[in-house]
Amino acid sequence: MSIEIRAISKRFGGFVALDDINLQIPTGELVALLGPSGCGKTTLLRIIAGMESADAGQVLFAGEEATHVHARDRNVGFVFQHYALFRHMSVFENVAFGLRVKPRKVRPSAAEIRQRVNDLLKLVQLDWLADRYPSQLSGGQRQRIALARALAVEPRVLLLDEPFGALDTRVRKELRRWLRRLHDEMHISSVFVTHDQEEALEVADRVVVMNRGRIEQIGSPDEVYSNPASPFVYQFLGNVNVFHSRVHGEWADVGRAGGGPEGEATAYVRPHDIEIEHRPVVGSLEATVQEVHPIGPLVRVELAHASELIEVELTRERATVLALAEGQQVWLKPRQVRVFAAPSAAMEEGGSGI
Amino acid sequence: MSASTSRSRVLPGFGLSLGCTLVYLSLLILLPLSGLAFKASHLSLAEFWAIASGERALASYRVTFGASLLAATANAFFGLIVAWILVRYSFPGKRAIDALVDLPFALPTAVAGITLATLYAGNGWIGRHLESLGVKVAFTPLGIVVALTFIGLPFVVRTLQPVIEDIEPEVEEAAASLGASRLQTFSRVLLPAIFPALVTGFTLALSRSIGEYGSVIFIAGNLPLISEITPLLIISKLEQYDVVGATALAMVMLMISFVMLLVVNGLQWWAASRHRGDGPSDGEVR
Repeated sequence: MSIEIRAISKRFGGFVALDDINLQIPTGELVALLGPSGCGKTTLLRIIAGMESADAGQVLFAGEEATHVHARDRNVGFVFQHYALFRHMSVFENVAFGLRVKPRKVRPSAAEIRQRVNDLLKLVQLDWLADRYPSQLSGGQRQRIALARALAVEPRVLLLDEPFGALDTRVRKELRRWLRRLHDEMHISSVFVTHDQEEALEVADRVVVMNRGRIEQIGSPDEVYSNPASPFVYQFLGNVNVFHSRVHGEWADVGRAGGGPEGEATAYVRPHDIEIEHRPVVGSLEATVQEVHPIGPLVRVELAHASELIEVELTRERATVLALAEGQQVWLKPRQVRVFAAPSAAMEEGGSGI
Repeated sequence: MSASTSRSRVLPGFGLSLGCTLVYLSLLILLPLSGLAFKASHLSLAEFWAIASGERALASYRVTFGASLLAATANAFFGLIVAWILVRYSFPGKRAIDALVDLPFALPTAVAGITLATLYAGNGWIGRHLESLGVKVAFTPLGIVVALTFIGLPFVVRTLQPVIEDIEPEVEEAAASLGASRLQTFSRVLLPAIFPALVTGFTLALSRSIGEYGSVIFIAGNLPLISEITPLLIISKLEQYDVVGATALAMVMLMISFVMLLVVNGLQWWAASRHRGDGPSDGEVR
């Protein structure tokens, strides 16, 4: 089922949590709301779920007005960061809860409930835990039970609030892939909130990058990573080197469209988009090698130019060919540069947007 | 405690602290109570039975335990509401109300009794209106229930507060998103989580009520067979230098209280252990 968000705004006292948010989520899509903490992503998710009411704007489910529909009537599955399982119920009863509280007329029979719950537990591969209690499960198991519980009522929309935030890296990776598969099998619309860019880029069909109550960019994972719409998106998605025109003249001027000579510009270059050369080439920047760290499949090189640190990532092969030594003089050449005009303090420090 | 068991524990001082506990409990509780039992054993079984099952004694048991049960039940219900509101909502004057709950703990019980008796008497602020409705509170068994409710409330509220604080609001939201109504959320999700603590609070309020003397005698009227509580009967026996008779009644109270507490604790243990696992699983995630 499609979700449409129209001009949603929300304030908490003087704090603007959401500022005129517009978003369309077509049926069957898995969307990630990505942003730093306090950017309003969880508030938006809770407004979609009906657990928070917006100050202004509308939420539409499949084209129907749902802004004032109570959470229990929205038919939305919600998965919480800290699972929110019912502690005094067994795993089976947790999953069965949504079915047992249905009005008598539409409630499935006891046998049907048993069947449905067992199917769901099989789906999340935890049918052997049916009689345990939540306190006896590991974090990853609890989150899968929470997901099975949310799916039991056959929701039209699945909402997940930092679903893997409390889990360790290995379990998180596994569950991510598993969520993707599950979403594809269930044919529902899913929205999940995360502050982990890797998670968003790996799992989602579309990524909505949010910052300070506004949407910065909406796009496919590839789009938002390789073609960021704003300096914020650039900095939030992966590492980036920032070059100011007053320090790194030629570099920041590369790709600058017009603009007076006194206008300042900032160039953004990803660490893996910088080439290191042993001799000067046209448009290159002189730098000194400070440190060389091999990290897994990559080699991270820190270089200094005019007392500013530049980070470069090389493949192991390239690093072997270059044979960099600390203190060595090299020349840097960017493969891809993105220039944004006048670096506003607001973008970098998150101060007032004036 | 042998050296080997104490060495196998991570936390030190088990032997010492257990020893302290036993000595302390023996001196404060076991010794006086055994003294009581010893004194009562001067009576032959027939004499004991004659005193314990006297008409006045039986009536006083009924009043004491009946009024205590009623008061504790009322407190369990309203105490739950008070605790819920104090934990879940914020409103002006919340801290004042929170402090107010503790007053029955601190107030001398005689003061409470006199105040309640004045309020509920036929010419008192509340009693005046109740009397015109045909309800007499002061100097009747109903007055005893009122006094016991007053002194028992903090026990329920203070026991429930930490437990309610422990329930994440998310659990309620989860129940709502699964389609549960407010009533279903309360009866299926919240109440089972609160229940063991509610039983504890009920038990504490009940025990306190059974032993209460000071506040009750001012409001009860103390008519033999109607509104006379067992503690008062014990005192009047003592005043007549009938120490043995007093101890016999005390023994009866002790035994009934003990059995009641045992049953309630058993209930509470059952409720709490229903959803307690054997500890975390092996942590495997597959």
